[in-house]
Amino acid sequence: MSDEVARLREELDLATQKLIESHKMASLGRLSASVIHEIRTPIGSILSNNDVILRSLDKLKQLLADARKQGAPPTEQSLDVLDIIAGLAAVDKIACERISSVIRSLKTFARVNEGELARVNINDLLTNTLKLTAASFRRRIETVTDFSELPEVECYPGLLNQVFLNLIVNAGQAIENEGTITVKTRAEGERVHISVADTGRGIPPEVRERIFAAGFTTKPMGEGTGLGLSITREIVEDTHGGCIWFDTEVGRGTTFHVQLPVEQKGRSDAWRTTDRPM
Amino acid sequence: MADNGQAHVMLVDDEDMVITSIRAFLQLETDYAVHGFTSPEEAAGHLRTNPVDVVVTDYLMPRMNGIQLLSKAREYQPEAARVLLTGHADKQSAIQAINDVGLYQYLEKPWDNSQLLLVIQSAIERTQLLRKLRSKVEELDAAHTNLKDVQGRLLRAFL
Repeated sequence: MSDEVARLREELDLATQKLIESHKMASLGRLSASVIHEIRTPIGSILSNNDVILRSLDKLKQLLADARKQGAPPTEQSLDVLDIIAGLAAVDKIACERISSVIRSLKTFARVNEGELARVNINDLLTNTLKLTAASFRRRIETVTDFSELPEVECYPGLLNQVFLNLIVNAGQAIENEGTITVKTRAEGERVHISVADTGRGIPPEVRERIFAAGFTTKPMGEGTGLGLSITREIVEDTHGGCIWFDTEVGRGTTFHVQLPVEQKGRSDAWRTTDRPM
Repeated sequence: MADNGQAHVMLVDDEDMVITSIRAFLQLETDYAVHGFTSPEEAAGHLRTNPVDVVVTDYLMPRMNGIQLLSKAREYQPEAARVLLTGHADKQSAIQAINDVGLYQYLEKPWDNSQLLLVIQSAIERTQLLRKLRSKVEELDAAHTNLKDVQGRLLRAFL
């Protein structure tokens, strides 16, 4: 009988892991649309610049050949063409840096090994996630960070990335037109406190109780799986022994709070059952 | 079209690098006067008082999107050709742009310089033709009014 229970528990754990993984892939998929948009601009610029540099070199060659034929020094126009080339090479450098930075963030996000506990700086995880989401928010949402110095937190960084991505994407979706997302971190003794506040529409009272339930969503088809917050709570509370709650006011916005213990080893189970401020 | 015959091209994109790239290209290949704006509001302000032949704008920008800017352009300078150059390839915005603001061309990023140049050249030509047409129509109107006046006087002389 106990073997059966153990086997079922193992199966359940495996199924949960798979669910978390597929939710992560779905979030990454949604994110890729905005990442593509973010990369398309610098690529457009580089392609155009390359074409213009080739045209400029042709023109320069012609101008220099003409000057030589006439035994005269190169004209003022040749210098103008050189200025164009130099200006575009500088733009290309900025454009390449933009693309590399987006790709670096995406790689960091996708690569982190979820199976291993590691000590990380939570502010770095948040910065990275904000960089990725900024691509879709930049034009309508301002993101503000208010980070305190934090101790390194022992955690599963890949899973926490997913938590932060969920909270930040949700915050962005709650803002209909323009608004602000404020991400704060604070050290609180043996815990760290992270909050993600939006100036969006707020959560209506009738759905507040169900918001962490699996399968519950208020988003249109294709925008949400209804698993984001249930997985988020699972990762914060069950996996890390932290807690998650929110304050909300309809029409004013919502703030999600996450508290995480700094140490995983030897954390008491009592911590897991402490009252969650709701 | 300014008095000296130079064509005026307006470029609007919140990404400075796009403006720099297209400006460099037009500087190399044409003698157009290029007016670049990273703020659509400032571009709209410029359109109020300065004639341009073509407006090439991005779609997704903060505070005012490309379609909103083009509808201002249509209000202030109906003859100026309106071109959307967007990295946001979405059919809905294309349809809206064509229907709402009488778009001349819809281009996607990354763009092809030769194609962009063709679009800008033909847009300028179209604008200049429209302006010529308008001035001819005004001349005709004036002539017509004049003629009616003469006709009235003639009638009065004979009756």
